[in-house]
Amino acid sequence: MRALAATCAFVLAASVASAQRRPTIGLRADAFMMWVHSDTGSARTSLRGPGFGGEGRIAVNGLLFGLGLLEGQLKPAGGTGGGAGASQLDLVQGTVFAGGRLLPWLEITAGPVVRAYVTDSTTERWVFWQARARVDAPIVVGKLGSYFEVWRALASDVNLPTGAGRIQGGEAGVVYQPPRQRVWLRLSYRMDDALLGGPGGNETMEAITLSGGIVVP
Amino acid sequence: MSRTLVVFVVVLTAAPRLTAQTATDLLEQGVRAYQKLEYDAAVALLRESLARRAPTALADSQRARALSYLGATELFQQERDSAAGSFRELVRLDPRYRPDELIFPPQVTNLFEEVRRATKVLTVQVPASMELRPRRESFTARVITTSVLPVLVTLAHDDGTPVRTLWDGRVPDSMVVKWDGTTTDAGALPEDGHYVLRVAPNPATEDGPRPLQVTLDITQEPPDTLSWPPPPTAPPLLPERTSASPALGSLAAGTLAGGAVVALPSLFGRSGEATGARFAVAATVSIAGLVGFFAHQPRPIAANIRANAPARADWQRRVEAVKTENAKRRGSARLLIRAGPVTVAERTP
Repeated sequence: MRALAATCAFVLAASVASAQRRPTIGLRADAFMMWVHSDTGSARTSLRGPGFGGEGRIAVNGLLFGLGLLEGQLKPAGGTGGGAGASQLDLVQGTVFAGGRLLPWLEITAGPVVRAYVTDSTTERWVFWQARARVDAPIVVGKLGSYFEVWRALASDVNLPTGAGRIQGGEAGVVYQPPRQRVWLRLSYRMDDALLGGPGGNETMEAITLSGGIVVP
Repeated sequence: MSRTLVVFVVVLTAAPRLTAQTATDLLEQGVRAYQKLEYDAAVALLRESLARRAPTALADSQRARALSYLGATELFQQERDSAAGSFRELVRLDPRYRPDELIFPPQVTNLFEEVRRATKVLTVQVPASMELRPRRESFTARVITTSVLPVLVTLAHDDGTPVRTLWDGRVPDSMVVKWDGTTTDAGALPEDGHYVLRVAPNPATEDGPRPLQVTLDITQEPPDTLSWPPPPTAPPLLPERTSASPALGSLAAGTLAGGAVVALPSLFGRSGEATGARFAVAATVSIAGLVGFFAHQPRPIAANIRANAPARADWQRRVEAVKTENAKRRGSARLLIRAGPVTVAERTP
């Protein structure tokens, strides 16, 4: 938690020092195909399925505040150790974050994430505080750009007997913005890996996401 | 008979002392003897002074003075032919020499003038060395005659090939012949080398003066030309083409992002079951990088080219001005002319 507090303080200080700007609002809608691989040591399952999500953020004086939500329905995609027989589950994840753009190409955010795998009988709930860093690299200025984002949980909890281990991930993709338009499109790939405590195994989530967004000045 | 005896005695008694005296001393003693009307002694002393050879010989100016006193003395000794001979030698030595009318009585100066007019002498005087700007300045040769004489002054290569005729006409007494340093009417300059300035009576006669020639060593001094003005650079010029850096940056951004997509499972995942779907995303990102690379190829920036146009035009004007000035300077190369001694040339038919 101290690391999270330090990160937030650093981001806030750096962002406030930046020039005063008009607030902007960004909205994003995601459609993705997701794969979740679970390895508990005794059993390995793979599920996949489509999902939808969205994010809203507001930028004020260099500071960012936002929240996101995604939801997907995962079905068994085959596998060993009972993967083929795994039951369908729903994935729901909510995110709240705050941060700032320290440099024109660097954005730092942090905030809590709640992720739940819901079956008919149980709910596996993860709660973790996550710090994220994103680097933007323009390809054609104002039109085409790439980005690379990494994150890591600073504190985590899961309602499993094994407890939660480290959680980290990354995402990279390309963003297209039509000339003189406020809307944009994005294609990305993400990988998120959550370790269970002890020798409990891990859960890996990967997704290909097609997103569309708009920036409202 | 008595005069011969006197001279004999003078020479005999003076001989031991004469050999120990310089030609100048002898000249002064001869002048004093002339002034004391001791003509025989004066003649002996003056002739002795003229007979001295180097290194104690008289300088030309003193030699002319000695000849003038000798001629006057001989005239007063009633030896008109000898006097005329001395004056003739004086005229040939220095055609411009005139006996001082305050020193010599009219009968002496009249004889001298008579001899001078009758003696056809031609000389030429040139500067030993000079630099000149062709067409603007002139090389001068002073042609001196003792009487009106038709003279041909030519410049030729040392092998005899004619270059220019500088004068073909009568020279009354003294005339300056000029050469503007060109070898043709179009203004061509002489090549480096040896040339011959020839001054000859025209037509040549058997009893006339001998033609003279002076060797001229002519060298072209290359002119100092201006260096070209440095071309305008950026800044202050604006860049006229887009940089290649954005193209490479775009390619790098796409390539790195595409590589990151492929590498994400290895970087962050533990499961070896990552799907191959990420390769499609990686390919898309990489293609975007290629698009950016080609979109950012360097190309002209018309606005900057227009903004730079006045500076470039100004530079071009300065270049043209330097070109013009250099062409002018090259056309006005200096000639370094070194003259040799005046020598007698062979008569030409």
